[in-house]
Amino acid sequence: MSAPFYKLGAFGDEASLIVAFLVGIGFGFALERAGFGSAKKLVSQFYLNDLAVFKVMFTAIVTAMLGVTYLSWTGFLDLGLVYLVPTYWVAQVVGGLVLGVGFVVGGYCPGTSLVSTATGKLDGLLFVVGFAAGTLGFALAFPLVKGLYTAGDLGTRTLPEALGIPHGILVFTVVVVAVLGFAGATWVEKKMADRAAAATE
Amino acid sequence: MIRWFSGLTLNQKLGLLALALGAVAIFARVGPGQTITLNAKELLTSVQRQEDHVTASELAAWVIEGRADYRLVDIREPKAYAEYHIPTAENVPLATLLDGALGRTDKIVLYGDGGIHAAQAWTVLKARGYTHVYTLLEGLDAWKEEVLFPVMPRSPSPEEQARFERAAQVAKSFGGQPRASASPGAEPMPLPTQAAAPAVAAPTLPAGAAGGPKKKREGC
Repeated sequence: MSAPFYKLGAFGDEASLIVAFLVGIGFGFALERAGFGSAKKLVSQFYLNDLAVFKVMFTAIVTAMLGVTYLSWTGFLDLGLVYLVPTYWVAQVVGGLVLGVGFVVGGYCPGTSLVSTATGKLDGLLFVVGFAAGTLGFALAFPLVKGLYTAGDLGTRTLPEALGIPHGILVFTVVVVAVLGFAGATWVEKKMADRAAAATE
Repeated sequence: MIRWFSGLTLNQKLGLLALALGAVAIFARVGPGQTITLNAKELLTSVQRQEDHVTASELAAWVIEGRADYRLVDIREPKAYAEYHIPTAENVPLATLLDGALGRTDKIVLYGDGGIHAAQAWTVLKARGYTHVYTLLEGLDAWKEEVLFPVMPRSPSPEEQARFERAAQVAKSFGGQPRASASPGAEPMPLPTQAAAPAVAAPTLPAGAAGGPKKKREGC
């Protein structure tokens, strides 16, 4: 077991900031190359014209999941040390809905708005200002919404635990769902393109 | 077969690769499972980086500043808690620590009489995924030595003198009493009553905590 690197002392606090910076640059670069610096591309997702967001995100999930599984299986990574965000299901359902509405209205999610700003788009910059103001507002209103913040606490849960199935079976199931999802997404995109072509004739 | 494969698009090939890796992963044995596992190295690294404790003087400063971003938790029995506790502390006895009074993301400072029980509780909480847990270094013993009854060093340098005067002020605000010099076998100092303790600006005591019986206790 030699990972996670930070928790096992491979580097210290200051170095961890540099690592985080490099990972962040890589993440931003990947998002930009996927076309996610454009609100048009992102919002096409919701009109089913272009399901790139779905495909990219699911690809990332499958890649990370397979990587973590194999690294853990070969004894390189101690999965027990990987930080899991605790499940606060009520808080997360409410937060998801708020984020979703913001995404449809504003055309970005927080990460992609930064990517968009970095490529010089003003709508992205406005979005960043908006979400900074929202974050500040949330912090100021925190005493009022404190109860919601931790509502529905289920602790740290993983799908294999919650569903009572072995880790490996779950991994395979997610891969199958993803591959079927990609095929389905491509089919939907083609359908929508055909419809759009018929409408313009 | 090869011709069929080379006829596929890159996306289809990647999909096949994912399916193959996923199928092999069915046999993978991973995951922490149901039992709690402690990673000794991670815990020791955290201890060695001094990320596991706060000192009595640091805690005193937090209480005086009225900081509210942490929870001070007295893990002793309710009786001991009623006799004396550090202002702003709440009582969560050791045995009930995991019963839901504490949140996993709360910043928690644990203390007991000495340092050992708190350190054991720290280990259990860390193993259960509580992210920001600290102990008060040497527990109430250090609180008494450093904060309530600080000792004037023999023939102090001006710097030590100034430090002692600051400590004496802090001690008085917590109802303690600075001592002239360390003398082994001296009379035990009486602990402040809870009514006397919160003579500082911000801290408020949990309901029912005030006015504990004044009791002489050896500085342990």
